Amino acid sequence: MLKMVFSTIMLLPMTWFSKNNMIWINLTTHGLIISLIPLLFFNQTNSNLINCSAHLSSDPLTTPLLMLTAWLLPLMIMASQYHLHNESPSRKKLYLSMMIFLQISLIMTFMATELILFYILFETTLIPTLIIITRWGIQAERLNAGTYFLFYTLTGSLPLLIMLLYIYNDLGSLNIMFLTLTAQKLTSTWSHNLLWLACMMAFMVKMPLYGLHLWLPKAHVEAPIAGSMVLAAVLLKLGGYGMMRLTPILDPLTEYMAYPFLMLSLWGMIMTSSICLRQTDLKSLIAYSSVSHMALVIVASLIQTPWSFTGAIILMIAHGLTSSMLFCLANSNYERTHSRIMMLSRGLQTLLPLMAFWWFMANLTNLALPPTINLMGELLVVTTSFSWSHITIMFTGLNMLITALYSLHMYITTQRGPLTHHITNIKPSFTRENMLMFMHLSPIILLSLNPSIIMGLTP
Amino acid sequence: MIRRVLPHGLGRGLLTRRPGTRRGGFSLDWDGKVSEIKKKIKSILPGTSCDLLPDTSHLPPEHSDVVIVGGGVLGLSVAYWLKKLESRRGGIRVLVVEQDYTYSQASTGLSVGGICQQFSLPENIQLSLFSASFLRNINEYLAVTSAPPLDLRFNPSGYLLLASEKDAAAMESNVKVQKQEGAKVCLMSPDQLRNKFPWINTEGVALASYGMENEGWFDPWCLLQGLRQKVESMGVFFCQGEVTRFVSSSQRMLTTDDEMVILKRIHEVHVKMDHSLEYQPVECAIVINAAGAWSAQIAALAGIGKGPPGTLQGTKLPVEPRKRYVYVWHCPQGPGLETPLVADTSGAYFRREGLGSNYLGGRSPTEEEEPDPANLEVDHDFFQEKVWPHLALRVPAFETLKVQTAWAGYYDYNTFDQNGVVGPHPLVVNMYFATGFSGHGLQQAPGVGRAVAEMILEGSFQTIDLSPFLFNRFYLGEKTQENNIM
Repeated sequence: MLKMVFSTIMLLPMTWFSKNNMIWINLTTHGLIISLIPLLFFNQTNSNLINCSAHLSSDPLTTPLLMLTAWLLPLMIMASQYHLHNESPSRKKLYLSMMIFLQISLIMTFMATELILFYILFETTLIPTLIIITRWGIQAERLNAGTYFLFYTLTGSLPLLIMLLYIYNDLGSLNIMFLTLTAQKLTSTWSHNLLWLACMMAFMVKMPLYGLHLWLPKAHVEAPIAGSMVLAAVLLKLGGYGMMRLTPILDPLTEYMAYPFLMLSLWGMIMTSSICLRQTDLKSLIAYSSVSHMALVIVASLIQTPWSFTGAIILMIAHGLTSSMLFCLANSNYERTHSRIMMLSRGLQTLLPLMAFWWFMANLTNLALPPTINLMGELLVVTTSFSWSHITIMFTGLNMLITALYSLHMYITTQRGPLTHHITNIKPSFTRENMLMFMHLSPIILLSLNPSIIMGLTP
Repeated sequence: MIRRVLPHGLGRGLLTRRPGTRRGGFSLDWDGKVSEIKKKIKSILPGTSCDLLPDTSHLPPEHSDVVIVGGGVLGLSVAYWLKKLESRRGGIRVLVVEQDYTYSQASTGLSVGGICQQFSLPENIQLSLFSASFLRNINEYLAVTSAPPLDLRFNPSGYLLLASEKDAAAMESNVKVQKQEGAKVCLMSPDQLRNKFPWINTEGVALASYGMENEGWFDPWCLLQGLRQKVESMGVFFCQGEVTRFVSSSQRMLTTDDEMVILKRIHEVHVKMDHSLEYQPVECAIVINAAGAWSAQIAALAGIGKGPPGTLQGTKLPVEPRKRYVYVWHCPQGPGLETPLVADTSGAYFRREGLGSNYLGGRSPTEEEEPDPANLEVDHDFFQEKVWPHLALRVPAFETLKVQTAWAGYYDYNTFDQNGVVGPHPLVVNMYFATGFSGHGLQQAPGVGRAVAEMILEGSFQTIDLSPFLFNRFYLGEKTQENNIM
């Protein structure tokens, strides 16, 4: 474990001591090398945790998310090169240090064996994200966005801290392995209901659940590209991961306490997908589509069957890569035309055909085209929710339809159609951007060939 | 000591004081410091507005998809149609930058306010016809829920154009084109003229064309205010300031004939506030030049015209301000209420103003007599020598008129062919023009606004094809000229 954590911590001095023209090369290369390390954790013979140490470990639930996080750091660094190139070297280094600090906390969050350590690092991830959004965001609304982001997440997670301390007092240990063994069945008293709510709310806000999702469009739109990427790809998955870790101790209560959240998620799926159909701002559209996809993950985590957990994990990985890719594409558009409106940059296929290909693949994976892992995840979730209750098929089926609608709408508006006059002079795609899109897409395609490694605890 | 005691953030304002200037005394000014601390704490507590960032409410937003330079009737019309034709509400952020909120020198407010369809170019006729229908239904187009309906004070009295022998043939062919486009115009012989308008002296008049419907004059301020209200209610941002700089990037590209062209793209517009050095860089995707008489300066800022003359790069925007005088006089024995706007063979024109026997009019000076456009001062001698004789000849009752007042306004005069420039610039790819209408901008504003909005949103002109008005014609030398202008 130390090989990951220490190397990532050492990226910090490397940022500050590198020569100014070598920062990007150094960081990207070392980030890519570090991302090879989680590959070592994939080969597990049983579903026990690989105990690397008493505090950090990695099991089949953690490893895919860890891989995603580690893979994303070099991608974030590559994506930020353009909008930072005019800044002074120390501000560049500060931005990169924020990203690396975030990376350290995320890696340790996913690998934590003890729930209090998990909680502390969960909260720690908020700080660098807030700094990235408020200091390097684009418009004046970024302060508002940062405030919403911070306070929604903090308010949700404070009850979690209290509950974790109470459970620690009760059970004596919050180690994940021991929780399943020592947890007692909860009864349906008021206090146990409140315990369930307190534990779950933090992750509901983070996912986000439909009624508590207000911070997400603001934060995603106002954040710079690296901020959007890490928010969409990893930070939302913290919620899903946390829910899956806590459900063993909240056992029989979940069956009926989950009802309102299931209803909200099912309804929210359709609502946010429909909002996507009406969006004009490209980043806002992708942000709302994130809410819609994560609603499926909430449904899966709350139903708690083996297949649904598998579906949740696959969907989290797939959505992380797809959403991050869409944000990179939207950003490449924004850097050229200085406008996020879809209507003002149309017919790009004639100008940038290779980028049109990446747009095409990103939108296809977004609408869960077979045989990508997006479809695997969605299919598993839809199937399990159908078996939980037949009526949910209406919602999930309608959601898949509307997702297809807005993904294709996004593609056709930006790529097809006649070119408008004011875009004829944009810079052609950089190799860096093409590489970025390829590095997002190739894991999706390779995983579609062998999704069993990301299928989680029950392959 | 004080510095160590106070927490860092709160003591900020106090640390910059220099007590060293009062060397002798123990003047720590406790009250002032305490009140500053109190103010600081109050601003952090909830319930008050947070001043963490410096206050920028007077500045335009940092980002806007479309920036319209110029808030006159053309600029507001483009903003209105952009918002109306966008397919999703709240889609495009539009910012209108106007350097003078009082519109003291803008052509719109100082305009005579006439609308007529008697042009020779079919595009001009179509634009005026659309404007007439827009003005007729203005309360449907520009309805705002909290405001009373607009009263344009439209006087549908028509235009009467008089032609001498040598211009008669041109007038006849013009009227034919106008009738083809659907304008209601009729030709009148001198006898018919004398019959209909007994006050007229038809000496030297061979033919006259009289507009019977959709022609007349209206109140341009009302249209401006109506557009302004509606556009604000649709969510367009307004800002008073001057555009001082465009930040752009250029790229060398080869055309299909292997010629090298340099294409430019504007990224940012620097808007400077009035009476201060403060400016705000507004990041934008499209800039619309609707600056009227000052359009050439805005075009020069974008680098249009910087190049060897005779090339596309060296073709400047040929719009310059020309001063025109309008005089108001009182003549109790003058023509009656049915008087149209009469445009004489000599170029002098007049129309009725109000119901108290007041008339206003003027005349376009010849090239040699062009007044200096540096200011808007009125030359009364011009009326005495150049306008009155022709008026008195045409309408004998005007021999005994008394001038009440006069003003001057600018034409955004297109020195090339006196017709508007609409559409994108071929080299500065995201600058669109809507200017240079040389005196008939007000009456064509609704149509032109819609054309520019269509060009931006759809990529080509959809309803009225204004391709003869594109910028390219200045380089290619193809004049789109009117046969008779005012």
